[in-house]
Amino acid sequence: MKKMLFAAALFATTAMGAVSAGAAPVAYKLDPAHTAVVFVVNHLGFSNAIGRFNTVAGDVAFDKDAVQNNTVNVVIDTASVDTNHAKRDEHLKSPDFFNVKEFPKLTFKSTKVEKTGDKSGKLHGELTLLGVTKPVVLDVTFNKDGVSPASKQDTVGFSARGKIKRTDFGMKYGAPNIGDEIELIIEAEAVKA
Amino acid sequence: MTDLIHDPFVQSSLLPLLLSVGAVGLLRLVGGRRLAVLGIAVTFVAVFALVVGVPALPPPSSMGKLFWSAVAGLLIGGAADAAGLRGRAASALVALWLAVSLGWIAYPALDSAVAGVTFALLLAVGGWVAFGRLPSRSESPAAPAAVLLALALAVGGTALIGSSASVAQLALGLAAATGGFLLWNWPVERHAWGVSGQAALGVVVLLAGVLSLFTQAQAAVLLLALPALLADRLRAALPLPETGFGRAAGTAVVTVLAVVPALIAIGAAYLLSGGEASPY
Repeated sequence: MKKMLFAAALFATTAMGAVSAGAAPVAYKLDPAHTAVVFVVNHLGFSNAIGRFNTVAGDVAFDKDAVQNNTVNVVIDTASVDTNHAKRDEHLKSPDFFNVKEFPKLTFKSTKVEKTGDKSGKLHGELTLLGVTKPVVLDVTFNKDGVSPASKQDTVGFSARGKIKRTDFGMKYGAPNIGDEIELIIEAEAVKA
Repeated sequence: MTDLIHDPFVQSSLLPLLLSVGAVGLLRLVGGRRLAVLGIAVTFVAVFALVVGVPALPPPSSMGKLFWSAVAGLLIGGAADAAGLRGRAASALVALWLAVSLGWIAYPALDSAVAGVTFALLLAVGGWVAFGRLPSRSESPAAPAAVLLALALAVGGTALIGSSASVAQLALGLAAATGGFLLWNWPVERHAWGVSGQAALGVVVLLAGVLSLFTQAQAAVLLLALPALLADRLRAALPLPETGFGRAAGTAVVTVLAVVPALIAIGAAYLLSGGEASPY
């Protein structure tokens, strides 16, 4: 009887291990050529200024069938900020805004993924900007996964949208004339690591 | 009214000028002629809170450190002046505060030889600010106020051209606050300069530190403004009679002459920038 119980326990453990190993998320790396982190900010009420970060890196752990297991870690070089105007970019790199000398990196680390639809979800995470870490939530749309006909590599693609208040991170200069609320537009492709 | 207070031009000119006139007058009333000069630093701190906001404590960035260093300078200066501290002890106190503040602000940026040289230059200027006054003129406020006005203008103008708006606003606000103090002291010098005045001069060195170490502005041009530091000696050498008219004329001449190198520095910054400013 003892032997039968031991065998059953061993089988159950092995089987569970096999299931969990099969469901493990797959590691991907962000493809910088097809990833864009864009921000939109109100400029004195006249228009919305648009900028982007040109140097973005990150890892994605992706499980299509169990999205709650997915994780995302992103690191952005703040000095890569680009608004298509060199002098304005100089200002954005100064202590008034991104303070790139003291805070060269902006990071996002996911904490939870909520499924809200077939291809949509909410990505909860912690954004660290100017040395301040705050929780943020992004609305994410899963676009597609599979072998890219261009690169022949396993690829997943996502779009994300969200809003943050820059003053929450201590970026207070010019607010509210230069908008406090920042709209984030993220388009990303990640290739299997 | 709210629009006016949020106007960057008003924030760094008219508002600090009026605040300073009020603060200097109030402090004169409450603390006498020795404490009146504290109005410059009080105005600077108020303008900082308005333009940038009150930073967290402990501050995570150089700008936050600048604010709390200025607050410390204000408190140290006020306490020293209230206690009647003068001479080498007062200079040593200012030098210690300034060296500690500069080190605190600068250390995250000290990652290259250029940054090291910049830091050494800032320390040297800080040393001059602390110890450079002529003992015979140590109470007279006109010449050091002219120096502060000139250096703050130089830092503000260079920052404005160099796309660093908050440093520009703060420095120009400091210049305007000094203008308010000078108005109280012309044609008659009514107040003492004291430790609080030296601390206000130290604040402009700290602003120059943030500008030169943490932004891409052409901060090297600030070297061109340094002859303004000789205003005290220039005032002593001016062949003017020790009458009311002579002293008033001396203040005016020294102020104008101190501002000249500041304008040269700003002109150099403009030329080096290619004549293009940030669209802000």
